[in-house]
Amino acid sequence: MLQSYVSEIGRSAKSYCEHTARTQPTLSDIVVTLVEMGFNVETLPAYAKRSQRMVITAPPVTNQPVTPKALTAGQNKPHPSHIPGHFPEFPDPHTYIKTPTYREPVSDYQVLREKAASQRRDVERALTRFMAKTGETQSLFKDDVSTFPLIAARPFTVPYLTALLPSELEMQQMEETDSSEQDDQTDTENLPLHITTDDSGPEKENASVLQQNTSLSGSRNGEENMIDNPYLRPVKKPKIRRKK
Amino acid sequence: MNRKKGDKGFESPRPYKLTHQVVCINNINFQRRSVVGYVELTIFPTVANLNRIKLNSKQCRIYRVRVNDLEAAFIYNDPTLEVCHHESKQRNLNYFSNAYAAAVSAVDPDAGNGELCIKVPSELWKHVDELKVLKVHINFSLDQPKGGLHFVVPNMEGSMAERGAHVFSCGYQNSTRFWFPCVDSYSELCTWKLEYTVDAAMVAVSNGDLVETVYTHDMRKKTFHYMLTIPTAASNISLAIGPFEILVDPYMHEVTHFCLPQLLPLLKHTTSYLHEVFEFYEEILTCRYPYSCFKTVFIDEAYVEVAAYASMSIFSTNLLHSAMIIDETPLTRRCLAQALAQQFFGCFISRMSWSDEWVLKGISGYIYGLWMKKTFGVNEYRHWIKQELDQIVAYELKTGGVLLHPIFGGGKEKDNPASHLHFSIKHPHTLSWEYYTMFQCKAHLVMRLIENRISMEFMLQVFNKLLSLASTASSQKFQSHMWSQMLVSTSGFLKSISNVSGKDIQPLIKQWVDQSGVVKFYGSFAFNRKRNVLELEIKQDYTSPGTQKYVGPLKVTVQELDGSFNHTLQIEENSLKHDIPCHSKSRRNKKKKIPLMNGEEVDMDLSAMDADSPLLWIRIDPDMSVLRKVEFEQSDFMWQYQLRYERDVVAQEEAILALEKFPTPASRLALTDILEQEQCFYRVRMLACFCLAKIANSMVSTWTGPPAMKSLFTRMFCCKTCPNIVKTNNFMNFQSYFLQKTMPVAMALLRDVHNLCPKEVLMFILDLIKYNDNRKNKFSDNYYRAELIDALANSVTPAVSVNNEVRTLDNLNPDVRLILEEITRFLNMEKLLPSYRHTITVSCLKAIRVLQKNGHVPSDPALFKSYAEYGHFVDVRIAALEAVVDYTKVDRSYEELQWLLTMVHNDPVPYIRHKILDMLTKNPPFTKNMESPLCNEALVDQLWKLMNSGTSHDWRLRCGAVDLYFTLFGLSRPSCLPLPELGLVLNLKEKKAVLNPTIIPESVVNPQEPVASANNHGQSVGFQSTFSNPQEEEEIDMDTVHDSQAFIYHHLNMLERPSTPGKEQSSGEITMHPVVAAPLSVFSKESNSSKHSDHHHHHHHEHKKKKKKHKHKHKHKHKHDSKEKEKDPFSFSNSPASARSIRSPSLSD
Repeated sequence: MLQSYVSEIGRSAKSYCEHTARTQPTLSDIVVTLVEMGFNVETLPAYAKRSQRMVITAPPVTNQPVTPKALTAGQNKPHPSHIPGHFPEFPDPHTYIKTPTYREPVSDYQVLREKAASQRRDVERALTRFMAKTGETQSLFKDDVSTFPLIAARPFTVPYLTALLPSELEMQQMEETDSSEQDDQTDTENLPLHITTDDSGPEKENASVLQQNTSLSGSRNGEENMIDNPYLRPVKKPKIRRKK
Repeated sequence: MNRKKGDKGFESPRPYKLTHQVVCINNINFQRRSVVGYVELTIFPTVANLNRIKLNSKQCRIYRVRVNDLEAAFIYNDPTLEVCHHESKQRNLNYFSNAYAAAVSAVDPDAGNGELCIKVPSELWKHVDELKVLKVHINFSLDQPKGGLHFVVPNMEGSMAERGAHVFSCGYQNSTRFWFPCVDSYSELCTWKLEYTVDAAMVAVSNGDLVETVYTHDMRKKTFHYMLTIPTAASNISLAIGPFEILVDPYMHEVTHFCLPQLLPLLKHTTSYLHEVFEFYEEILTCRYPYSCFKTVFIDEAYVEVAAYASMSIFSTNLLHSAMIIDETPLTRRCLAQALAQQFFGCFISRMSWSDEWVLKGISGYIYGLWMKKTFGVNEYRHWIKQELDQIVAYELKTGGVLLHPIFGGGKEKDNPASHLHFSIKHPHTLSWEYYTMFQCKAHLVMRLIENRISMEFMLQVFNKLLSLASTASSQKFQSHMWSQMLVSTSGFLKSISNVSGKDIQPLIKQWVDQSGVVKFYGSFAFNRKRNVLELEIKQDYTSPGTQKYVGPLKVTVQELDGSFNHTLQIEENSLKHDIPCHSKSRRNKKKKIPLMNGEEVDMDLSAMDADSPLLWIRIDPDMSVLRKVEFEQSDFMWQYQLRYERDVVAQEEAILALEKFPTPASRLALTDILEQEQCFYRVRMLACFCLAKIANSMVSTWTGPPAMKSLFTRMFCCKTCPNIVKTNNFMNFQSYFLQKTMPVAMALLRDVHNLCPKEVLMFILDLIKYNDNRKNKFSDNYYRAELIDALANSVTPAVSVNNEVRTLDNLNPDVRLILEEITRFLNMEKLLPSYRHTITVSCLKAIRVLQKNGHVPSDPALFKSYAEYGHFVDVRIAALEAVVDYTKVDRSYEELQWLLTMVHNDPVPYIRHKILDMLTKNPPFTKNMESPLCNEALVDQLWKLMNSGTSHDWRLRCGAVDLYFTLFGLSRPSCLPLPELGLVLNLKEKKAVLNPTIIPESVVNPQEPVASANNHGQSVGFQSTFSNPQEEEEIDMDTVHDSQAFIYHHLNMLERPSTPGKEQSSGEITMHPVVAAPLSVFSKESNSSKHSDHHHHHHHEHKKKKKKHKHKHKHKHKHDSKEKEKDPFSFSNSPASARSIRSPSLSD
């Protein structure tokens, strides 16, 4: 019974500590556990200081068995102060050595792509199904509304905004790709564009824009106020009404 | 009116000259969609007895007119509101088209007419006689305009500015009269002062320089003052008001861009390119941009994508895009360049008359083409020219000719140069929209032909001359009469061409400008080995509609073993055969390289060719210097050589199209090689994909290896290690991007022996969708994904249906189930993560319609109807509407047709209204020779009403309705109507009347007008034949006279027409015959009216005199009417019935 009581204390203290995202139980975890188990914690200090408490004395010294020296490697850790000296020694240091092992990560390209694709598909399907379940739907089949549920079309008040503005996801993506220029795919290098289509477009242009921007910004700083565009001028106050 | 065509310069059709106009709009109410303002026109009489001033005005409610501060009487009469009158039971299109042309011409400013006729107060007559200045001040308002000004007011919370409400002017050709009274002609130039008072949170963008912006006294509004000192036609005046975001162009501070709230980042990106277009045009024209500033405004619900006005352009907001969008970028840049080209030719330089329109459209289109060549390269340019040429050729062959420079002699219908068309080409406002598009296309192609003739250098010199003359003129004061230099005319243009180049281009002009039609060549050849001569036979078809005979030089390029040689043949009347000597001996040293046209020397595998002939390929008119269609016969290996080795993209495209007819392994190889060749123009490669699919289908039984293009696609776009998985997207190389998009679409067209799409292909496409990964891409993949859905749709084949069972889920084909799964997911994802321009939704809707049509999914328009509602993005709506139109046709649904027509009536977006009619015309539910349950009298009446009066606020829409009517019922009386009960048949087109031949066997010769036979419309009941005695003939005959005279009268004196319908009855001058049911009463009525007309006929001249008196009397009578009307504030709405006459209350007797 005692054993189960003690192990219960340990188990539940551990879960309290894990609950607070720690691995090592602290005093407070134990206290909470004890409180939880109906134990009056207040009485504990008094009990510890009781006069007739039992003290485990060192066992009578017997002849120490001679341990073969060859097997010891390094110095064993000395006992910390709260452990009586007669307790057995810590194990040899080498027993503490650990080599962590991991499961081999899946590095096969095909599997990865497969996984990414199916994962995304599952997420999308789940999400759209959820949306369809919770909202109004349309169906292609009169007799069955659940197999291919379509989220009902809902008109927008300002339809062009959603249609033209890139979504947040895309914006994010753009920032990411901008910071880390695409370099992973070497086999589709940009061939020199022998045909001048718009293709000379964004890339080169950006470059030239940048250049010009820098050259402009130099001169523009001084000029900033000088941009004389009638739409930027302040609105005038009304004059005294003229006679008409 | 009696202006003569010639080089005498411009003679105004008006008895006065407009010099300056003020437009002031004091109040714009977005909630009520109304506008209040005034205009003031400064005019100088040019004749002494000017007592009437005719102006254009539509829709506007005119409160008050003052001339030099004196109240003036005015008449408002707009015959275009209702083209044919209620009482008329006419239902044939010929009649309508003539009446419509007459109505338009009655208010045509180019003929000196107008809807608004102002009487100059008698106190001023003396003043006028001295030709002194008159100031005409008109107060007007506009309530819920249906055309001309378009209000966009989103239905949500917040102030108008927060909602993004805006308004802009729009219309087709000269439509300024819809929003303020003016002389709505491209040839009446004047300077402008424009003032707009708007909400303080709004911006008013208009033409000319913004002089100042001033708050009103309560500080809640502000007034924008614009001055336009360059003489400009009213038709080039525009306006856009809204809570715009303002972007000053970083390269050119005179240029300002405006867009709707939240779109500023897109605007920045989209317009970042504009300065290059500016530079280009200024450089080639060696002329500064004529205006001191330029404004671009991007607005929602645009009427057209691009509209150019003096110093500003109005664009559709849907042209804006971010840097991630590939496909839209070139399209938008094209629109910008187009708009800018029109600034020079179209806005700054205006035209003298409608028949000179082609010069402006031609020049602006031509310099736009030069910009294309410079920006996108020669390949793209030539591809574009070919595309435009194919389009115009197809259109002309279909409809029978597009005439660039119509000349109208005296307004007689007889010499109507466009009798093959169902509309008049005399006015821009009567033209079918498609015709006008093709007209523009032809105009720039003809300019290119002129360039071919006189060289580009001279061409640009001519443009420069026109521009510099105009800019000198523009700075002059109006008295010097120099302003007409800013107007271009055909003769003036041709004159400066001959001055500059010294070349005679008259034959060219005669062929392509003064005459309609294209040339159709058929070519074939034989090689005469003995003489070493190529015998080329070129035939022409010039008898089919839309064709004309070509006589003159024709270039033929022959690629021989020794090189490429140009030959110029003279095409003459009777010579069909042309002998062309060859340079090379047939088979020769294999090792030698073969020189091409461009000087390049290549190795060729000559094993395929005919050992006896040195000919590799032959091209007729390679430079497209004739507007033609060529059908040339040469053997398959020649086409294959042409495809592989000819460097001109046009030749390659022609070869690809020709190879469709040769499904052989050699063709397959040639196409695959082209597909793989990176140096090849991407559009050629894309075209090759589709051809390859067709060839593969024709070769299905002998095809070996994996499905066409599959291994190619795998090699190009899939991972090296796992060929079934596509690489993650990287669209940095645009050529491969376009190819990657196209190949699956083409592959899906493959069919196996059972005429099904191979399972392998379908799985492949599904895998492409599955593994599509755009995370590391710099560009959006929305167009790519959309095309993958298109590919899925392409793979669908008709369902095998067992005795017409109802389509349910259970009997769904498993492949279709997979497809449907994808479509559902994509469509649903669009709701959560919408793609740019909702391209994916558009593709999904199209795919669903394909599934419905093929019988996999029950055919049901409900889904499309919900996507077609107002509030969806315009592309989505169009796609949905297209599906509904298709459904209407396939299922012959009267209900859906009604739904569509209701939308034509009521939809807030003009473009959608136009597009529905357009789509119905292109994909009609039935045509005139078809039996259909949909074709009934109610529909005829409904459509008739739509074009007669329902669409008077939008020229384009009315012409669209006319097109639809034509497609459904043809020119004559619709066959579904009950037979007309009158024996009389009026051929209004030729202004001749005939008796129905079923009544009277021989045609009756009329003393006044010859009576034509034939071409009569409508069948008649035979009752009258029983009465066919001489007297009856006589009577009916008089009737004929009467009616035709009424028509002439109606036609010529449209404006003098009585101002209320009531008068017609009282005067008895215009009487349409009521259709009466009972034969007997017809008979009696007939004789009655014929007596009357008899009288009228004999005293024809007297009547004309009397008419004026009549008119006077009516004025008096009318005043009462109108006064009464004005007591009721709502009486003069824009409805045709009440608006016919609005008289000033101030008119004093």
